[in-house]
Parts: sequence; structure tokens; C-alpha cells
Amino acid sequence: MNKKTIELQNIETIYEGEKIPAIHDINLTVEPREFISIIGPNGAGKTTLLETINGILEYTKGRGFVFGKEIKKNKLELRKEIGYVIQNFELDPLAPFLCKDIVMSGRTGKIGVFRFATKKDWDKVWFSMGLVGMIDFANRPVGKLSGGEFQKILLARALAQQPRLLLLDEPFSNLDYASRLQIETLLNRLHEKYNLTIVMVSHDLSFVPSRCNRIVVLDKGKIIMDDEKSRILKSDIINDIFKNNGGKK
Amino acid sequence: MIELPSALVLTSILGSLLAGFTCSTMGVFVVRMNLASIGYCMSHAAFAGAAFGLMISIDPMIGALAFAFLTALILGPLSEKARLQSNVVIGFLFSLMIALAFIFLNFIPGQAASAKALRILWGSILSVSYNDLLLLAFLSFVLIVFVIVFYEELLSVMFHRKLAEASGVNTKLFYFLVLFFTGIAVSLSLRIVGGLLVFALIINPTSTTYQFFYDFKKIMIFSPVIGVISCLVGFYLSLFTDFPIGASIVIVSALFFAFAIAVSPKRRKTEKSL
Repeated sequence: MNKKTIELQNIETIYEGEKIPAIHDINLTVEPREFISIIGPNGAGKTTLLETINGILEYTKGRGFVFGKEIKKNKLELRKEIGYVIQNFELDPLAPFLCKDIVMSGRTGKIGVFRFATKKDWDKVWFSMGLVGMIDFANRPVGKLSGGEFQKILLARALAQQPRLLLLDEPFSNLDYASRLQIETLLNRLHEKYNLTIVMVSHDLSFVPSRCNRIVVLDKGKIIMDDEKSRILKSDIINDIFKNNGGKK
Repeated sequence: MIELPSALVLTSILGSLLAGFTCSTMGVFVVRMNLASIGYCMSHAAFAGAAFGLMISIDPMIGALAFAFLTALILGPLSEKARLQSNVVIGFLFSLMIALAFIFLNFIPGQAASAKALRILWGSILSVSYNDLLLLAFLSFVLIVFVIVFYEELLSVMFHRKLAEASGVNTKLFYFLVLFFTGIAVSLSLRIVGGLLVFALIINPTSTTYQFFYDFKKIMIFSPVIGVISCLVGFYLSLFTDFPIGASIVIVSALFFAFAIAVSPKRRKTEKSL
């Protein structure tokens, strides 16, 4: 049986101490090897949706499955199969971490407790750093990288995990045009070559990778459109949603 | 210079060495995880606990450990949920603990006990017992095993908690372990460094080491080294000058930190790879 990679049924997630759900009535199915973009303005609930999928946030209603397993009951086990690239964040330039150690930290869950990293684990680290073209940065301090380089290291960290599903939160945010193009090419290559299922979140319609053929539009915590990329990009609703936030270019 | 029996000197040197090691090892995590405010409160809670122990005539160390644990239990979940700003936590709990400590000190029966209380406040080389040494040695051993066995998990959590959680690390467990070990290190070092100053031994050596290295492994190795050196130099400074040992240790570690800031290669514009 061909298991769906992600299956969300009437999902609702409410942050602790809040009354209004950040996302609600979410029904979403993602097939293996799909590359989808979840777009929406700031505050639409995109990050909440990603973090509900990998179990960092617990849904308050509905049922959610990843690789056919219920998220709530299997979150620690599932996270080892899900690579997560967090939204580019500000890192202290003096932070005491080398790039190779950060990439290796992606494998921590997979290595497991009471076990040490082996040569095989380091081989995966070198391989994923090579994939993103950052092998020469292995011994560089991570705080000294540019936005684009840091994004690549975070991507290599997720890839070192050898994930079956890759969740990307605003992979193009805070990047200059050249770095955006590099990351876009990289994502297309990864999807083509390694048959990864990729779910990418963005508030910017101008950078939807070419291999991404499905777009889910999220607004005010709810999915309002879910269709092929070409149809979504032509839709008038998109203009209304992004009128004051982001924008179709 | 104060003349002391050689057995007492040896006990004191070992005590300083172990207190420096345990506090500055935990300092690596406290500094990186921005737990300074929590640790600060814990050190004062331990001080209040020690005063409470003296007041009800039990070993002050038991009181210190109990109060430090209690603070970790309250502050851990509170700061987890980020409902309180760290300066609010300091303002509220720091003053509460100091107030409690002074009330407990006021009710300590007898002159001798009051002298003991003052030693907890300032720290004293004469207070270090054989049992303290054993406990500090045991804690040092546990910390070495903890860091070696869970190095990958700790590094992952130190870099970014949410990312560590996303790759399958039980970050809550490590967060609470760091809090508890910090509480124990503070409580066991209280008699040597003193309740008012013990936290400096957690922050200063690590902050000094941070000025030199980009490699977390090197920070993990050299922070305890600086901590131990600060304690030993502070100990001898205390012997020569008759300063309280806690104050001497803190002055030495603060001087190391000031020197590190001045010569830090990480703060220079053109730097060499470290």
C-alpha cells in the first residue's frame, strides 16, 4: 500500500494559554516525492502548520499522520525521519560552533542516546555538506557565515539526517537575490536527484522553485486554496491576500 | 600570610579545585542557554536554604540543596513557557531569597552558628569538610560522564533548542538536567565561595573562555581549566592577603575575564582561525 507522506484530517492547533486557534480545519494530504509550497501572509499559521506536522506543536483537534503513523503517538520517532530547516535566525557572530558540528547535530536524534558518532555518521556529514557546496566551510565558525551560507549549513544539517520528508520554513527569507537563486537551484536538484518529499513555507510568491508543482494557500489559519502552481499564481484571490503583505511579483 | 596545617591546606586546595571545576563546567551551559538569571536566583536560593538549615540545626548543605532544587522546579517550567521576563524573575526571586536568608540568619541560635552563617555568606576555606570534598569529587565525576556521553545532544541543544527537538532530541530532559546539576554545583560550592559570589564562578570562567574559541569542544575543556586556575590563584591570594576566599576567587576570575576581553582574538577585526 502506498502510504501518504502527510495526512492531516481536520487539524486544529492552539498555542498554550491562547483561545483562538493558530490553524484550524486543516485537511492536507501530501504524496511521497511531492514538492509543495505553503504560502500565505505573515501570521497566516504557516510555521504552526509545519511544527504541527513534525510534532513540535501538539494539535488540539483532528488527527494527523506522517508516513502512516499518528504524529501524537510517534513524534520522537517521526522527527528522526523529518528534516526541518528553521526560518533563518540571527546568530551571535561569536557563537562557539563550527559548521561541521552543526551539520553533525542534525544526526543526533538518529544516532540515539548512549551512542557516539561513528565514521559512518561523519561520512553522512561530509556528503551533505558536499551536496550544498559547503565542504570547505567545515571548520569555519557558524556565526561568521553570510545569510545564504548559513541557510545552506542548516539545509546540510537537515540532509545529514537522511530524511524522507524535508520541511523548510521560509528558506529564502533574509537572503539577497543571488543567494535565493542558489538555494532555489539546490532545492530543485535535491528533489530531482534524491526523490525527497519537500514541504516549503513562504510568504513570498516570487520564489517558488520550478519543481514545486502544487501550492497550498493559507490565510487566517485556514487552507483557502490547494491547487496546481500555475492555477494558483493566476488566481485573483492571491492578489487580495498579498495586497498588504509580500506580493506577487 | 596565614599559617595553616598542611592537611587543611590540602583539603582547601582540593575543595577550591573541585568547586572551580564543577561550577565552570555548568557555566558553559548556563551562559550558552541564557540561564544566567535562573542560575543567579538558584545561587541565592541555595544561600537562603543554607541559612534555613542553620536555623533548624541541620547541615546547611541539605537546606541549600533543597532550596536550589525547589527553585529549579519552579523556575524551569516558568521560563520554559516564557511567561516571565528574566529581569522580572531576578527582581522577584532574588530579593525574596535574600529576604528569606536574612530572616533565617536572624533566627539562627547561638554565636557559633552565626559565625557559620557568615562563612556561608562570604565563603571560607575553614568550612570545607572531608564530606564536602567527597560530594564535590562525585559531582565532578558525574559531570565528566554526563558531558562525554551526551556531548552530541548537549551541543545540539546549545546551538538551537527547537532544531534539536526537531531532530529527535528530548530537549526538556537536558534543560532540566542542566538546571539540576547547576543547583547541585552551586549548593556544594557554597561553603567555599560563599552564597553571594558563587554565581560568578559559573559565569566568569566560561565568559573568559568564550573570548578565545569558536569550537564548543574547546570551550567545554578550557572553561573548567580557567575555573580551576581562578580558584587556586584565588585561594593563594586569600592566604596572602587575608581576603575572604570567595571574594579572592571572584576578583581573580573577573581579572581573567577583563584580560580576555582586552586580548580576545574573536573581537579583533582581522582574526586568525581558532
